[in-house]
Amino acid sequence: MSGNYKSVFDIIGPIMIGPSSSHTAGAVAIGRAANRIFGGIPEDITIHYYESFAQTHKGHGTDYAIISGILGFEPDDKRVPDALDIAHEQGIKIKFIEEEGDSPIGHPNTAVCELRKGNREIIVSGCSIGGGTIEIRDIKMDGFHIKPKGPLPILLVQSENGGNSENFSDKLQKINTINHHAKYDAPGKGTMYEYDLENRLKQKDLSQLASKDTKMVYL
Amino acid sequence: MYDTIQELVAASMSQNKPISEIMIEQEMAKNSATRDEVWSQMSKNLDVMAAAVKRGVEGDGVFSKTGLTGGEAVLLKKYREKGHTLSGDSMVEAVQNAIATNEVNAAMGVVCATPTAGSTGTLPGVLFVIQERLNLDRDQMIRFLFTAGAFGMVIANNASIAGATGGCQAEVGSASAMAAAAAVEVAGGNAEQSSEALAMALSNLLGLVCDPVAGLVELPCVKRNAIGAGNALIAADMALAGCTNKIPADEVVTAMDKIGRGLPRALRETGIGGLAGTPTGVKMKMTIFGQSVDVS
Repeated sequence: MSGNYKSVFDIIGPIMIGPSSSHTAGAVAIGRAANRIFGGIPEDITIHYYESFAQTHKGHGTDYAIISGILGFEPDDKRVPDALDIAHEQGIKIKFIEEEGDSPIGHPNTAVCELRKGNREIIVSGCSIGGGTIEIRDIKMDGFHIKPKGPLPILLVQSENGGNSENFSDKLQKINTINHHAKYDAPGKGTMYEYDLENRLKQKDLSQLASKDTKMVYL
Repeated sequence: MYDTIQELVAASMSQNKPISEIMIEQEMAKNSATRDEVWSQMSKNLDVMAAAVKRGVEGDGVFSKTGLTGGEAVLLKKYREKGHTLSGDSMVEAVQNAIATNEVNAAMGVVCATPTAGSTGTLPGVLFVIQERLNLDRDQMIRFLFTAGAFGMVIANNASIAGATGGCQAEVGSASAMAAAAAVEVAGGNAEQSSEALAMALSNLLGLVCDPVAGLVELPCVKRNAIGAGNALIAADMALAGCTNKIPADEVVTAMDKIGRGLPRALRETGIGGLAGTPTGVKMKMTIFGQSVDVS
C-alpha cells in the first residue's frame, strides 16, 4: 500500500477548474510547490514535460495550470485558464519543452520546473499521481540537491549555522509523525533538513516551529 | 488508515457503524479537525457537484472550446420529457447528470474531482438520481460522499486513480465502484453489501483504456461517465438483491492495478492509441492543434 492518499478530500475533491485533476489541478499543485521553494515569482520559467504530460499538456490545459501554480493561484481560482496571459503581462519569460525520453523521476505525469530570477535558479521535479495529488521527488535549490521520497507534506528547514536539529525534530515529533528525514549540506549555505510528514501542518504549527536562524519551506 | 476493503468492512461491522462514520472519525483524528470542519468541507463539495449538474442543462447546455463535446445533457433532458426511455427515467436521469457534470468539466467550469476530473460525472450521476428515488436528505447525501471517499482511498492507495498510470478503469472504474458502494449504504445495505457492489462495479470495467482524442478530456471521457453511473446503479442493485462477486473486492483492486501496469503507454492517457488513434480522432487533433501526429 502506498499511503499517498491521506485524506478523504484527496478522493472527494479538490474543487477545481476542469478539465483534468492530474494534468490541470495536479499541475497547479506542482507549480505551487515550485513557487514556495522559490519563495516568490520568477522572471524566467522553463518547464520540461515527460511521457503523458509531454503528449497531452496542450489538450489538458497543463501549461496554464502549472504557470497558475507558479504565480501562486489555487486550483479553483477563476484566473487559472488566463494564467499564461497574466504571466506575459508581468513580463515573465516562459518556455515549455516536450521531452521524448522517460521521466527522470519514474512517473508518466512528470514536469521538471526551472525557475530563475537574477542569479538564482531552482529546479523542482514533480509528478501528478491522480486526482490532483502530487509527489515532489527532486529539488535543486541554493546548492542543495534534495531527493524526497515523494508524498506530501514535506517540510524543508534550512539552517545557516547548522542549527539544533534534535531540538527541532523533537518539537515536530510532538505535533506530527515524521515518516522519513534526511540531512543535506552545501558549502557556505549551511544545512538543509528534509522531513516527510504523515499529517498536514496547520498555520499555527508552522508559526510555532519558525525561528530566527532557520528558513522553512512547507509543501 | 485502512489498508484493505476487508479491514474497512470488518471495522464497520464490529463497531456497528456505517462506513461514512468511520471515515468522518478517521478524518477528524488525522487532521485534528472538529466534526463540523470535516462535515462543512464535504458540504461545500456537494454544493459544487449540484451546481455542475444544474449548469449542464441550463439553456442550450455547456460547450467546450473545441466544440467536441457539449449540449448533450440538454438532449437527454428533452428526451426524458417525452417519457419513452428504454432503460427507465432514473437510469437516463443518471446519465444526464453524469454527462452534464463532465460537459462542465470539459468547458473548464468548476467541478469537484471525484476521484478525478475526468471521472467527475460518475458520482453525481448516481447521487442526484437516488436522492430523488430514496428521498435522501442533505445529511444522507454528505454521508454518501464520505462512504465513497473511504472506499476510494483504499483503491487509490492500493492501485491507482490516474489514467496515465492505470487507464480509464482506474478513473471511471474507480468512480463507479465508489458510487456503487456508497449507494448501497444510503439505500440501507450493510458494509459487506457495499464491498460486493464495489467488487462487481469494478470487475465490470476492468481493462478499460484511457484513449482521449487529442489528449482532451472530452471524447470518450464525457460518455464514459454515463456508463460509470449506469454500471454503479446496476452493481448496487445487484448487491442489494444479494448477488455477490465471488472474487473479493480487494483482489479485484489488485487485478485492476496489475492490468493497468500491463497496459501499453499508448493506452494510458497519451492521446496516441485507441479512439485517439482512429483516422477521425487523428483528424480532430490536427484540426485543433494544427500539427501532424504519429499514429503508429
